[in-house]
Amino acid sequence: MAHAYTPGLKVTARTVLRKERRLPLKGKVMVSEIGTKVKAEQIVARTELPGNVLPLNLAGKLGCDARDVKGNLKVKIGDKIAKHQLIAETKGLLGLFKSSVRSPLDGSLESVSDITGQAILREPPQPVETDAYIEGKVVEIIPDEGVIIETVCTFIQGIFGIGGEIRGEIYPVVEQPDQELTVELLNEDCRDKIVIGGSFCTAPVLEKAVQVGARAVVVGGIDDEDLKNFLGYDVGVAITGNEQMGITLVVTEGFGKIPMANKTFRLLQEKKGYYASVNGATQIRAGVMRPEVIITLEEDQSMKTTGSAESGMMEVGTPVRIIREPYFGELGKVAELPPHPMKIETEAKTRVVKVKLDDGKEVLLPRANVELIEE
Amino acid sequence: MKFLTLFGILFLIIQGGSLYSEIVVEDVPNDAGEALMITWDLPDDVGNISMYRIYRLDPGAEDYILVGKVENPNVNVFVDHDPRYPLHAGTEFVYKIVPVDFSQNEVESLGTSLAVSPVAQLFNFNKVNSLIATLFVFAALIFFLNYAKTGKGLFIRKIAGLDALDEAVGRATEMGKPVLYVPGLSTMSDVATIASINILGPVAKKVAEYETKILVPNRDPIVYTIVHEVVKESYLEAGRPDAFDTDQVFFVSQQQFAFVAAVNGLMMREKPATNLFLGMFWAESLLMAETGNITGAIQIAGTDSVTQLPFFITACDYTLIGEELYAASAYLSRDPILVGSVKAQDLEKAIILFLMIACSIISLIAVLAFNTYAFNQVISAIFSF
Amino acid sequence: MKPKEQIKNILATDCGSTTTKAILIQYDPEAGRYRLIVRGEAPTTVEAPFEDVTIGVLNSVKEVEELTHREILQQDKIIKESSENRGVDIYISTSSAGGGLQMMVAGVVMNMTAESAERAALGAGSIVMDAIATNDKRMPHERIERIRNLRPDMILLSGGIDGGTIKHVTELAEIIAAADPKPRFGSTYKLPVIYAGNKDAREPVKERLEGKTDLFIVDNLRPVLERENLQPARDKIHDLFMEHVMAQAPGYKKLMSWADVDIMPTPGAVGLLIETVAKQEDIEVVGVDIGGATTDVFSVFKDRTEEEEKPVFNRTVSANLGMSYSISNVMAEAGLDNILRWVPFTMEEKDLRNRIRNKMIRPTTIPQSLQELKVEQAIAREALRLAFVQHKQMAVGLKGIQQERTIADAFEQVSTGETLVNLMNLNMLIGSGGVLSHAPRRAQAALMMIDAFLPQGITMLAVDSIFMMPHLGVLSKVHPQAATEVFDNDCLIRLGHCIAPVEKKRRKGGEHCFTLKIENRDELKIAWGELKLIPLGEGEKVKATIIPERHYDVGDGYGKSITITLEGGVVGLVVDARGRNPFSLPSKLEERINKLEQWNKALNIYPEKE
Repeated sequence: MAHAYTPGLKVTARTVLRKERRLPLKGKVMVSEIGTKVKAEQIVARTELPGNVLPLNLAGKLGCDARDVKGNLKVKIGDKIAKHQLIAETKGLLGLFKSSVRSPLDGSLESVSDITGQAILREPPQPVETDAYIEGKVVEIIPDEGVIIETVCTFIQGIFGIGGEIRGEIYPVVEQPDQELTVELLNEDCRDKIVIGGSFCTAPVLEKAVQVGARAVVVGGIDDEDLKNFLGYDVGVAITGNEQMGITLVVTEGFGKIPMANKTFRLLQEKKGYYASVNGATQIRAGVMRPEVIITLEEDQSMKTTGSAESGMMEVGTPVRIIREPYFGELGKVAELPPHPMKIETEAKTRVVKVKLDDGKEVLLPRANVELIEE
Repeated sequence: MKFLTLFGILFLIIQGGSLYSEIVVEDVPNDAGEALMITWDLPDDVGNISMYRIYRLDPGAEDYILVGKVENPNVNVFVDHDPRYPLHAGTEFVYKIVPVDFSQNEVESLGTSLAVSPVAQLFNFNKVNSLIATLFVFAALIFFLNYAKTGKGLFIRKIAGLDALDEAVGRATEMGKPVLYVPGLSTMSDVATIASINILGPVAKKVAEYETKILVPNRDPIVYTIVHEVVKESYLEAGRPDAFDTDQVFFVSQQQFAFVAAVNGLMMREKPATNLFLGMFWAESLLMAETGNITGAIQIAGTDSVTQLPFFITACDYTLIGEELYAASAYLSRDPILVGSVKAQDLEKAIILFLMIACSIISLIAVLAFNTYAFNQVISAIFSF
Repeated sequence: MKPKEQIKNILATDCGSTTTKAILIQYDPEAGRYRLIVRGEAPTTVEAPFEDVTIGVLNSVKEVEELTHREILQQDKIIKESSENRGVDIYISTSSAGGGLQMMVAGVVMNMTAESAERAALGAGSIVMDAIATNDKRMPHERIERIRNLRPDMILLSGGIDGGTIKHVTELAEIIAAADPKPRFGSTYKLPVIYAGNKDAREPVKERLEGKTDLFIVDNLRPVLERENLQPARDKIHDLFMEHVMAQAPGYKKLMSWADVDIMPTPGAVGLLIETVAKQEDIEVVGVDIGGATTDVFSVFKDRTEEEEKPVFNRTVSANLGMSYSISNVMAEAGLDNILRWVPFTMEEKDLRNRIRNKMIRPTTIPQSLQELKVEQAIAREALRLAFVQHKQMAVGLKGIQQERTIADAFEQVSTGETLVNLMNLNMLIGSGGVLSHAPRRAQAALMMIDAFLPQGITMLAVDSIFMMPHLGVLSKVHPQAATEVFDNDCLIRLGHCIAPVEKKRRKGGEHCFTLKIENRDELKIAWGELKLIPLGEGEKVKATIIPERHYDVGDGYGKSITITLEGGVVGLVVDARGRNPFSLPSKLEERINKLEQWNKALNIYPEKE
C-alpha cells in the first residue's frame, strides 16, 4: 500500500463552506426564506434564555412550618413579581406580630415546596442572539433553532487558537512567512484588523496587539511559555474559545518558531483588505474543532473551487511537513514509502516514510509524524 | 516618753548583749519589706526549755506583743512574717525572746535586740527561675506564632475524634435525625466547658451548612445563655440565620440526675444520629454514653475528667482525651494564633517533662553517691516556681 | 444466543473514540482451551463524514476475515451460524465512542451518599462530571447553573438512608427540576434521571421530576450508612446507556441489533473483567488503562476493617489525564519539575513545554528518537501517578458508620473512610493503554509502572498485550471460562514479580537491605538504593526466601523473613530497593541524571546509543 491516511488541515483558496448557526435552545429564527443573503453581523436567530433562579427559604424567613408556607403566600405561583413586592406574610396573632417576606428581585414566582419550605424565584429571561458569523446565503432553516449558511470563501484552518468569533480586515504586517511578528510592526493602523504575522510571536507582541486594538493575530508558531504568560495560566485540556483576552489568536503551524506554511501565507497576503471571520476556538478530542479564518469571496460561479488537503493520500513526491521532533517543522518531499513496518530508533516497529528534506538530506520517519501540505 | 523608750532600748541592748545572749535581727532579702529574721544564741540550759516566745515592740507602742513561737528548743531562728501583725518597711522594731519551760512558765528573757527596720527590695532574686521560665514561655509562643503565620504549617497530630465531627454531622443529615450536643454539666468556670463551647461553634456552623438540626440541652443557666449565642452566631456565620430555631438550645434542670434523665429520654425519643458529649462529666458519663450507644448513634466524647475517660472510651466511637479537648479549637480552625500556642505549650511541657526526669535521675545519683543537700537545693530551686 | 457449551467461535469488537478493534476467539480442541486467533483494527466512524459506527466495525471485521480466511460477513452482516470456516457463534461489543457516558451525580452529604453515587456511576463505566451535595459549599443557584452548563447524559440522584432525610433529597430534586437540563445528544428525548435514594422520599421526588425528566426509581444505593448497594443503580445505568445514550449515537441501533448481549461502556467492561479475575483467583489487583484523553484506574482490594474480609471493587477515571489530547493537562497538574525529574538528560523547560503542546495539537504522532521516547515515558509516569492519587482518594471505606471500641482503642482510635489501597497487599498490577502496551521494550512498561505506582512487597507486574480487556470483560458475562482462559494466556503478558521492601524511615544508601535466597541459586545481598534485574523467564517459578534487615518490611512486618514462590516474566524479577518512605530522586540535576541512567541500565531499558 503506497498510500497512507494522514491528518491535515484545510487550507483552500476557494471552497464552498457551510456553517450551522444554532441557538443553544429553541427560539425564533429571524430569517424566513431560504436563499436570503446575510451579512456577518446580522442576527439570524434569537431566543430568551430562562432567567437565573434564586431559592428563598420562606419557611425560615416567616418562621412557620414548611407545609404552612403555601397558605401564607400573597402571590400566586407563576405570577410576575417585582422587587420589594410582598410575597408572603404570616397571619400573626390578632393581626399583630406578622412576619413578611419581600421579593429580592424582579421576575416570577416559579414554585413553592411544602417539604423544604423553599420558594424558587426566577429572574426575567435573558435574550440570546446568534449572528450569521460569515457573510453568505441561507441554504437551510432549522425550524426554531437556527440556519445553515453557505458561502464561497478562502478557508484556512489553524492548529490551535484562543479567543472566540471575531470579524475584521485582513492586514498582513510581515513580508515573508519566516519573518517574526515583533512589537515594532504593530501600530495604530492595526486597529480592528486581523493581523497576519509570520513565523513567531511573543507575549509582549500579543499584549501590544491588544493595546493597539487589533481584533485577531494569525501567526505560524508561538512558544508555550509566551502563551502562558499572555493568558496568565497554563492551558490544561485542549478546549479553548472562551478566553476573554480581547483578542483572538490563530496559530497555524504549532508551538515553537515555525514559518507559516507558504500556501497559507500567500493566501492571506493576497486577501489583504478583505473582510474575514476568525474563530480561535479549538477542541482537540472527540468532535475536533480547529481555529479558522474564513474570507468570503465575491461570488463568481464560473470559477471552480479547489480541492482540499484534508485526508489526502501520500505518494512519492508529495510535499510533507514533519510534525514531531527531531526534525520538527521541516519541509520535504516523500522519497520512498516502504510497505512493511520497520524498526525506528526507539525500537518500535511502525510504518515509515522516507522524506527528502528541502536541504537535500534524506530521513526515515514514522508515517504518523508527517503531514501533507500543499505548495 | 520618747526619751524613756530610747533609754529603755539602749539599756536592753546593753543588758541583752552583755548578760545573756546575742539577738540578731536581719532583714529578709528579696521581699517587699514584710519580714525580719531573728536569730539568737541558744541558752546553756536548753534541756529545761520547751519553746521560745518571740515578742516584738512596735514603734509607738507601749508593750511588747507576742508575734510567734518556736516550739523546738534547739532552733534559734524565727522569721517574723505574720499578716496579723504586719511589718512595715522603713519602721524600726525591737524583738525580745522569752524561753518557756515545761510547766509553761516564762523563764527569763534572753534579752532584746537592736531596733531594726525591714527593707523593701526592688527585685526578688529567688524568682529568677520564674523569670527565665516566663521569658522562655513567651519566646516560644512568639516564635511559634510567627512560624505559624508564615503559613509553613505546623504539624498537629491527627485526632480521629475531631476529624470525625464532619462525618458525625453528615451522618445526622443523611439519617434525617438531629445532632445532640451536651456541653458538659459544669459551670463556665471549668476549662472543659470553655473548651467544649469552642468546639460547639464549628459544629453548629457545620450543622447549619448541612441544613440539619442540633439539640443542646444545658444544666447551667449561664452556660445556657452563652451556648445559645454561640449557636446563633454560628448559623449566622454559615449564612443561614433563617434556619436557626431558638428552641434548639434549651435549659433542662440544675439537678444532675434530673438532667441525665431528661437527656436520656431525649435520646430514646428523638434517636439523634450523633451524640457529642464534650466538657466536664461526672457519674452520668456512662449513663448517657450507654443510652446513646443503644440508640445506634455515633458518639464523640471528650473530657479532662480522668475518672470518666474509660467509660467514654468504651461506650463511644471517638473520645478526646484530656488535652485533646483543649487543643480542639486550634485543630479545627487551624488558626495560626491557636496552633502556635498549642505548639508552644507542647514544647514547654516537653521541657518540664525532661527536667522532671533529669532531676529525678540526678537526685537518685545524689542519694546514692553524694551529700544530698546541695542537690536538693538545686532541685527545689528549679521547682520552686 | 446459543447455549454456552456450543460457543466455539467468538467475535468481539470495541468501538473506541479513535479506533475500532475486533478480535476473534476460538476454541482450540488440541489445547483444550479458548485462544485468541487474530485481531483487526479500523478507524472508528461515529463522526462525520460517515456517521455510522457499524462501518468501522465492519472494516475491522473485514481485516479479521482477511487475516484468518474465515468468512464472517455476508452482505455486511455477521453470519451467526458457524461451521468449519464460516461464521461465528456469538458477537459482542463495547463502546466508548462519542466521549463515553458522561454523568452527574447528586447526594445529600458529599462523602457519604454523594460519594456512593459517584462510585456507582464510575463503576458502571461513566465519567462523573460533577457531584452535587448539600454540603458542596455552593449556593443553590450555582448548582442549578452547573447542571445547565454541563449537560450530562444522565443524572444519578441519591441521598438519605431508607427512613432518613426527605427534606434534603427533595431539595436536590427541586434543584434538578429547576435546572431543567437538556441531554447532550439531540432534544428529542428527556434527560434520564435515576433515583436511588431514601425510599420514603420517592413520592416527593416523583412529584418534582416526573414529567420534566425521564425518571427511573431503583433501590437505595445506601440503604443504611453501614452498607452500600450499588448494583441496582449500576444495572440501571447500563440499561439507560443502551436505551438512551447509545441509541442516539449514529449507527448504534444497528450495532445493538447485531450484538448478542448488551453493548457495554468500555471501562465498565474492563472493570468487570478485573473484578472477575480478582474474585476467581482471590487476589488484590490494580489495573490501569492510560489513553489519549483519560486514564482509568481499577482496583480490587479487600476491606480489612470489618471482621469478614470482603473484596471491594473501585474504579476511577481521571478524565483529564492522558497521553495525547490531555497531555497538556498532565503538565499543568503535575508541574514541569515533576516531569523533568524523570528525564535522564538536561532539557530546557521551554523546549519541553513546546514538545508537550505539539503532541497535544497533533495527537497521532509517535516518538521517533530515543530522547522523545524518554520524554514521553516521563510524562506517562506522572499521568499514572496522578491518576493513582485520585484513585486512592476515591477508593475508601464507608464514612459515617458506628464503631465498636474497647479500652485498648484509647490511643488508637482509627477513623472511618480510610483508603482501601494498601500496596503491600497488592498481588498484581496490570497496565494497559498505548504507552504501556506498546512500549518498545517491556522493561520500559515495568519501570514506568513501578515508578508511578511504587508497589510494595511482592507484586506481579503485567501488561495487556493488545488491549483486549474490554472484549474479555463483556465475554466474561456470557462465557466466564473463555474470558479467563484468553485473559490468562493471550491477553496478559506477565513482566515478572517486583520485590520492593519498605523501610521504616529514610536509610543511608548502600546499607544492606535484604538477602534473597532462591532455591538452587547463589544467595543475593541487596543494598538500599539499588534497582536490580534478576533473570527469570516467562512461566518460570522458583521458591525463594527473603530475609530483610531489622528496618525493612517485605510483606510480613519489619525484619520478618518470608518464603514464597516467585514468578518470572518477559522482563524478569525486578528488585527495587530504592526506598518507599518516601521514594525520592536526588534534587541535584547531575546526581539525578546519574541515578536515572544507572537504573535504566540496571533494567536494560533503552538501547545503548553509539
